[in-house]
Amino acid sequence: MKKLIVITLLLILGFYLMSTFISVPFGAERIAGVKDYYLKQSPETLKVSNVVTAIVVSFRGFDTLGEVTVLFLASTALGSILYRRRTHHSGLNPQREAVVSSTLVRTGAKVLFPMIILLGAYVFVHGHLTPGGGFQGGAIIATGFLLILISYRKFFINHNVLTWVEALAGTTFVLIGIGGFIFANQNNFLENFLPEGTLNNLISGGVVGIIYIAVGFKVGAEITGILDTLLTIKEAGLNPDEN
Amino acid sequence: MVISNPIYFIALPLLTAFLLPLIGKVYKPLIRLTPGFVFAFMAYISFDLFLNLEQGKAQIIQIAGWAPPLGINLVYDNFSGFITLIITTLAFIVWVYSYKFKKVGFDNSKKFFILMMLLVAGSIGVVLTGDIFNLFVFIEITAISSYGLTAFYKGRDGAEAAFKFLFIGALSSTLLLLGILILYTQTGTLNMAEIAIRLKDVPIATQAIILILFFVGFGIEAEMFPLNGWVPDAYSQAPGPVAASFAGMLAKAGIYGLVRIIYTIFDLNGIFGLLLIMGILTMIIAETAALKQKNIRRMLAYSSMGQMGLIMIAFALNTKAGIYAAIFLMFNHALIKTMLFLSAGFLTYSTKDKKISDLDGFGKIMPFTALIFGLGAFAIVGLPPFSGFWSKLSVLTAVADKTYYVILATILLISVVEIVYYFRIIGRLYFKKAHEEVKIHKPSWNAQVAMSVLAILIIVVGIYPDLITEYISNAADALFDKSAYIKEVLPNVSLN
Repeated sequence: MKKLIVITLLLILGFYLMSTFISVPFGAERIAGVKDYYLKQSPETLKVSNVVTAIVVSFRGFDTLGEVTVLFLASTALGSILYRRRTHHSGLNPQREAVVSSTLVRTGAKVLFPMIILLGAYVFVHGHLTPGGGFQGGAIIATGFLLILISYRKFFINHNVLTWVEALAGTTFVLIGIGGFIFANQNNFLENFLPEGTLNNLISGGVVGIIYIAVGFKVGAEITGILDTLLTIKEAGLNPDEN
Repeated sequence: MVISNPIYFIALPLLTAFLLPLIGKVYKPLIRLTPGFVFAFMAYISFDLFLNLEQGKAQIIQIAGWAPPLGINLVYDNFSGFITLIITTLAFIVWVYSYKFKKVGFDNSKKFFILMMLLVAGSIGVVLTGDIFNLFVFIEITAISSYGLTAFYKGRDGAEAAFKFLFIGALSSTLLLLGILILYTQTGTLNMAEIAIRLKDVPIATQAIILILFFVGFGIEAEMFPLNGWVPDAYSQAPGPVAASFAGMLAKAGIYGLVRIIYTIFDLNGIFGLLLIMGILTMIIAETAALKQKNIRRMLAYSSMGQMGLIMIAFALNTKAGIYAAIFLMFNHALIKTMLFLSAGFLTYSTKDKKISDLDGFGKIMPFTALIFGLGAFAIVGLPPFSGFWSKLSVLTAVADKTYYVILATILLISVVEIVYYFRIIGRLYFKKAHEEVKIHKPSWNAQVAMSVLAILIIVVGIYPDLITEYISNAADALFDKSAYIKEVLPNVSLN
């Protein structure tokens, strides 16, 4: 009986949600929103050829600062929740070390790792010119470290370095924001205060490119930190003599 | 460029949170001191801004130089300014209370202050932002920092509470995001003022769906029944100052988001009935549950939910008097509940199960802390001459104005329940013989200062309510007058 009521209620809710979504036509020109302005202003005023980047870093840069903070929080809070189970900071996990990955995997990882890092760096450095940007580049770099963590079981990541990278990148973002508040024409937080440069050049777009590089470093360091924390937790109860 | 700008409420705590790990490497005590300076500065600028704000005016802060509705903007008006003032002041008081926090060690106190910093930044962001997606981002920041803080004391119970909170919170975020998504497909903008204008052309059924999604999403943070299952666990497992800040900041940010959306964006009268019913249910169920609690922290948590229910009732009246009463209640609840949590933290510091029955005779053993708790109990049930009296009185008159006599009777009845369970503790504190062996932990001087400041505030506002009634009534005007909000954010748009 209880289940029946729940199912009926869910169906009613689902029906109304469905009917709302069905009424939204796909791809049609319906709403005179802000998009035309964004498409026009990104190349003209900001000198950023990737409009998505312009939206993410400039028009909605405040959201991006928030999202970077959310990621930072996730890595901090995860460390706080999983803290007790890690007995020492080297993060070595005997169970994980016991398995040796094959030579093929290790050699492959060695060849691929620098290329992955290079690709990640390329993606976030060119965030204002080509598709991609700080978040994507950072995630690519983190996959490189994941590959190494999987192939070399005794490899461990120095959390001190991660902390420094994270802190400096985050600080750069906020300080550029405050820089806009102090130096820019209208004294707004996150406003561009550097010369815009020429469209499509690597050095263009003022603060947009710099912010995205900071985001790239921060995201890369944070996701790597999260992966490392997750991989190196000792399963509770595996080593009874360890308490 | 002026020093007092609302952008600092968000930029500074974020900067500090990013920098704290580095600061700790330079000189360890700075980890505990820096947040204090930042909170003190934030409290200072919030006083400066609030006292210089003209009535009925709003300060619009553009981000990155894009005027609304193109970019994100912050709206500092009489209402959001007032709530910001409460949050920043409480943040500083909680810091004064907890800055010694020695027993957890260096690494953990670093995490504590980072998470605390971001909880404050997120709560203020929710209150100040004028952009609906930005609101979501700040809700996320508050939520994730709360999960981390709930699980702060390691152990099974803390982890369970945090996971419960995490699951409910994730549901809340999903619903909010879905609501924002539908809203964007219908209006093509994320600016709250512009959405308010464009919603006129959206079908009522769609509006109702969106509003219900928001209602549930914010209801979780505002501790609304039946979405408040996380509250007792989180409040009882988190460290004392964290529970205090949940009551003072997290719940306030949640209810603020809810009423901002109901009053400023939407124009659906039906929602007030729903809010009224949910408020009454929340109040009745929470307060009767509080009566049965044996653990003092859980009791305070249920009492906190009950108060949130009362705030919802007052907001649901949809009159100026109702909003006035609700904001007054928010103010009192933030101050008094913080004081109760802080003093309860020391009362039960050395007891194992934090049970109420462990507190027999503590009025003689810990006279100062017991007195503070007693003051808080008197104030929260609404006895004169404390500030709680005036807010309860204004709720009752606002309900009576609407001629909802059944609700009036319910609130009075529930107040009796509240008196019973608070006075039961006071009875134990002062009129029972102490147990044979009691271990106590004397509050440090900084904790005593923090609690005294709150107590003085409560008594002063209780005796001279006129000190703040003008500000509260301005805040109520700011929330009630939707067209003024739109006009301030979008000065060039005509409303017709």
